[in-house]
Amino acid sequence: MQENTLGKGWYGMAGPLFHIEDLHVSVEDKEIVRGLNLTLKGGEIHAIMGPNGTGKSTLASALMGHPAYEIIGGKVTLDGEDVLEMSVDERARKGMFLAMQYPAEVPGVSNANFIRTALNARLGEGNEIPVMKFHRELQAQMKRLNIDPVFAERYLNEGFSGGEKKRNEILQMVMLKPRVVILDEIDSGLDIDALKIVAEAVNSMRSPEVTFLIITHYQRLLQYIVPDFVHVMMQGRIVRSGGRELAERLEAEGYDWLKHELGIEDETVGVQA
Amino acid sequence: MAEQTTTIVSVTAEALSVRYVEPDWLRKMRAGAWEIFQAAPSPKLEKTDLRDRSWDIGPYADEPGSPSEEAEALVGELAGQAYVHVRNGVAVAVHLPEALAAQGVVMTDLHTAVRDHADLVKAHLGTVVKPDEGKWAALNAALWHGGIFVYVPRNVVVDTPVHFVYEETGQAAGGAPRALVVADEHSALSYVEVFLTAGSQPDKVHTGVTEVIAKTGAKVTAAAVGGYRKGPANFSVRRAHIGNDASVDWVFADIGDGFSVVLLESDLAGDGSASTVQGIGIGTGRQHLDLTASVLHHGRYSTSDIQLHGAMKDRANAIYRSSTHIFKGAVGAGSEQHDRMLMLDKRARADAIPMLLIDENDVQRCGHAASVGRIDQNQVYYLMSRGIPRSEATKMIIWGYLEPTVQRIPSEVVRTHLVRRIDRELEA
Repeated sequence: MQENTLGKGWYGMAGPLFHIEDLHVSVEDKEIVRGLNLTLKGGEIHAIMGPNGTGKSTLASALMGHPAYEIIGGKVTLDGEDVLEMSVDERARKGMFLAMQYPAEVPGVSNANFIRTALNARLGEGNEIPVMKFHRELQAQMKRLNIDPVFAERYLNEGFSGGEKKRNEILQMVMLKPRVVILDEIDSGLDIDALKIVAEAVNSMRSPEVTFLIITHYQRLLQYIVPDFVHVMMQGRIVRSGGRELAERLEAEGYDWLKHELGIEDETVGVQA
Repeated sequence: MAEQTTTIVSVTAEALSVRYVEPDWLRKMRAGAWEIFQAAPSPKLEKTDLRDRSWDIGPYADEPGSPSEEAEALVGELAGQAYVHVRNGVAVAVHLPEALAAQGVVMTDLHTAVRDHADLVKAHLGTVVKPDEGKWAALNAALWHGGIFVYVPRNVVVDTPVHFVYEETGQAAGGAPRALVVADEHSALSYVEVFLTAGSQPDKVHTGVTEVIAKTGAKVTAAAVGGYRKGPANFSVRRAHIGNDASVDWVFADIGDGFSVVLLESDLAGDGSASTVQGIGIGTGRQHLDLTASVLHHGRYSTSDIQLHGAMKDRANAIYRSSTHIFKGAVGAGSEQHDRMLMLDKRARADAIPMLLIDENDVQRCGHAASVGRIDQNQVYYLMSRGIPRSEATKMIIWGYLEPTVQRIPSEVVRTHLVRRIDRELEA
């Protein structure tokens, strides 16, 4: 595995503390996340599992600040700072990163130009990465993620396959070195080889200076990225938390036993309005 | 409706013929065109009201006057390359590299070409944009002043671009430049014209005509970069006549806040002929732009592709029409159109109007897509989610929208010039 030439922990700060308290989110006036609590600390990997329509992706988008998601209650802080007061780009510059399920295509903007602009925005004025160093680093990371070098000059996500988009999200992750990483169904649409590559990239970033929130349907990804905590989301909140064994039981038995234990008939946010 | 157009022209065709000691055929051509111009009614455009437009042009200056900073910088960077530089109708520089001259390439200002290459000019001038096709084509044919002539002999491939820099400074009173570009059989050429106007004199008219002739098997890239400032009404016609198995690829960029009616057309006369039309525009201030990109399919198996990308700021109002006409007999013809308009300000307006006329039953493909919209907020969000501030993200997206066309301009100097101008407009 290639070492990151920017070095680990280039922020030179202590591990992040990301805190979500009683979060409520609505989309088009419909409440989707309904009182969610979660604390992520540096060095930890949390997985959120759950069936479709339980609010997992809404949580991810709302944390990043997508304009379509309205925060109607609760608090989110990063190292004590109010995340909800920050614009989307400020959140990113503070170290948040969301690998999106459906990243936008931006014609005419090359992948390399985009990543370099983003990296320089994170590094701040006066600390920009030299162009040659950037390209060396980019090519090294692309090689490691098994991405064809031509993708550096391809237009951002334009005409990329589902799997190529996912790997491109991971490329941005390793280049930007965020502190709070949210992976929204990064495993969907990936074959097993690509999944292993993505998992390896995540594992290589694992350190006390980074915390991960991994959203997934399947236990498959968690065989390669071993989580410290597994949470199950239903009806817009976390209904059960446990260790790795919780994910294994869900994989083996499905969600019905848990719904039965909790007395939940419909786990989605659709009915219980 | 009463014709209110005023026609006060301070220059005459005869005076031009005398000034340039023109041969009889040209004298007659100008005089005939003048008759047509005077008789022709003001054209009626669906979306552009021309009734109150005056048709005043001139008087033409005897001397070129002092250069604009912008033109001077551009011409400075062209040092050593092939270019003709005309200011206020008067040729101020003609530079043809020795290597091109040795290949038999002719490139000079059009008045000189009338004298030194009479047969070539006479055989082609006015054959693609004819004096009788409309009021401003007639006006240009009667009063053209300043221009370029390019001729590439058979089988000659010119691998460096040929430039025409035309500038109108503050003293100018409109103008009528004319370009004639002839690529003989199986030759290849990149031609780039840059028009810079200073933009005073609101009652004057600017009428430019560019004729491109691509004979059998010739390959021409023709780029036009225009910047019409508030002031003279600009009417321009650019047309290519494309022979058997020949191709003409148009690339154009129009940036300004002026009043313009622009036609850019490819006549796919030959079998197997091809043309692409790729254009961008940035409208600012109270620009009124009425632009038509048109392809006429006459030849069998002729193909075309039109792509227009406009971005409107302030109170700009633009009409982008793309028109494809497949005539009876153009068996196997294929065409595509993609038009996108981006509104950058609430008060900006744009229409994207696709037009398809198909008289032949046996065509390969015929597609069109047109849209008018604002910047995609999902794209902005995506870039911002990586730390890029909103203003920079927006600029990147607009640049991305324009960039692929800018990159196709076949002259590095003109590309750089255009990038600077677009940057300036987007910063403003």
